Amino acid sequence: MSDTPADVLVVDDDPDLREIVQMMLAGSGYQVRCAGNGKEAVEAVAKRMPAVVLLDMLMPVMDGWQCARELRTRYGRAVPIVVVTAAEHARARADQVGGVDGVLSKPFDMDDLLRVVARFAQRSSSGHPAE
Amino acid sequence: MAGREKWTITTPASERRVALVVVLVFVVAGSLWILLSDHLLYAVVQDRTLVARLETAKGWAFVASSALLLYAVTRRSAAQLTKAHRTIAAVVESIGDGVLILGSDRTIAYANPASIQMLGVANLERLRGMGAREFSRRFRVSYLDGRLVPPDQFVSQRVFDEAGPIRYSAVLNPPGERETVIACTAAGVRSEIGEPAELVVSVMHDITSAHHLERLRDELLTAAAHALKTPVTVIKSASQVLSARAPSNLRSSTAIIERQCARMGRLVENLLTLSRIRSGTLQLYPVDGVDLGPVVEDVAGEVSRLVPADVHVQLDAHPRVRADHERLVLVLRNAIFAATRSSRPGGPVTVRLGRCGADAEIRVSYQLPSPSVESGDAPHSDTDLDDLGVSRYVTAMVVEAHGGTLTEQAYDDDATVEIRLPAMSEAA
Repeated sequence: MSDTPADVLVVDDDPDLREIVQMMLAGSGYQVRCAGNGKEAVEAVAKRMPAVVLLDMLMPVMDGWQCARELRTRYGRAVPIVVVTAAEHARARADQVGGVDGVLSKPFDMDDLLRVVARFAQRSSSGHPAE
Repeated sequence: MAGREKWTITTPASERRVALVVVLVFVVAGSLWILLSDHLLYAVVQDRTLVARLETAKGWAFVASSALLLYAVTRRSAAQLTKAHRTIAAVVESIGDGVLILGSDRTIAYANPASIQMLGVANLERLRGMGAREFSRRFRVSYLDGRLVPPDQFVSQRVFDEAGPIRYSAVLNPPGERETVIACTAAGVRSEIGEPAELVVSVMHDITSAHHLERLRDELLTAAAHALKTPVTVIKSASQVLSARAPSNLRSSTAIIERQCARMGRLVENLLTLSRIRSGTLQLYPVDGVDLGPVVEDVAGEVSRLVPADVHVQLDAHPRVRADHERLVLVLRNAIFAATRSSRPGGPVTVRLGRCGADAEIRVSYQLPSPSVESGDAPHSDTDLDDLGVSRYVTAMVVEAHGGTLTEQAYDDDATVEIRLPAMSEAA
């Protein structure tokens, strides 16, 4: 197991949400990077592969669905994507873009967020590929 | 009011009465004329030849006066009919709604100017004789959800065989014209009840603007509900971060913020679903084999964490259903929250899952508070005050969309909300 804290990429156009999620995750020992839209997220993943991407859907420049499609095209299932959305039935829609690894509906609980991130952080540190 | 009698609708009974009176008057007057004139003639004239000639003349005079009378009556009736026809034609032509009249061959016999304009045709002749199939091809009549209306399902066709009036809303797409949303009503004209209609009157009311406004309102509601979810998430998350670090005397405040966030979240979710129901765009994504046990336990646990209520779960069975998980959670959350808000303070809320015949049954039971002595009002649900009954309506509609039923019962101090959903067979 690696001692390096797991890297989580938070992608949301709302700066307050990015900040509070960053606080929650950093408080639990994660290394957090943030992106304000899908394009920035694709660039951030290209620099370093995160343990998990927490991806909002409705964003300017490049929305979450486009971003998920782009990441799937470039890296396949190697990059775990958890959709964080206010949209209804995100899971059903996610299947149309090649599937995502998890869905977190807004408004979510801190416990739920930490549980989801912990799942992927463990996989990352143990070297298991995302499902 | 002067002239009111002109608008009195005649019935078959009053028509028969008028005809009977005319015939009786004719029989009585004719009989009296024959009796009295004969009596007078025989009293005054003794010459048989002269009597015969006068009788013939009297007969001719009777025929002539009867003919004159018949002429006067017929002409008056014809004039009244013509006047009535002109009045009806003027009324129909001046109506702002489109009016189509179909004959017994089920084709268009008449169209008023409003319908000619609505359908974007040059004149009545373009529509006269047009049947349902051609109408469907020309004007592409669809339901509000976009499905084409089969020609035999037009209300103007159905009402020939069914009792009317029949109504629906539809969309007309005249070639080269803007689409028009109509509320259409059709009624048949029958000589006898139960007989096929001889004529059908179809009225098309243009509701395009109202429908457009309604759609905008629903879209606004949907967009607002979506947009509210993110600030609620931020506030809730910030409160949870604060709660973890706050001294104990501030934790009750952060708990209040979290409870109110949960309440806002429910309101938003219910408003979003309501807007879907209203606009006819509520979509379910059902999956087979949803085990109700864990869902009930999860939602009951969520409610227990948020409100100071004693929520018990009793699993008598583990039925599986075909359901949309997200909507199912909404239904249970609404039902259990409503029970906690409506129950006696400190009273237990029991959520019991079982089977009833072929159905899965979820019973949410609670104790009602004692009626207020001061007000004497009938007890009401606090949930109704909370969201004007939106959650109650949404819950019932979503259960119905799953093919289930929702009933509420209250006996003395105990109330129960019973949700039944079609269960999948054990083998499945």
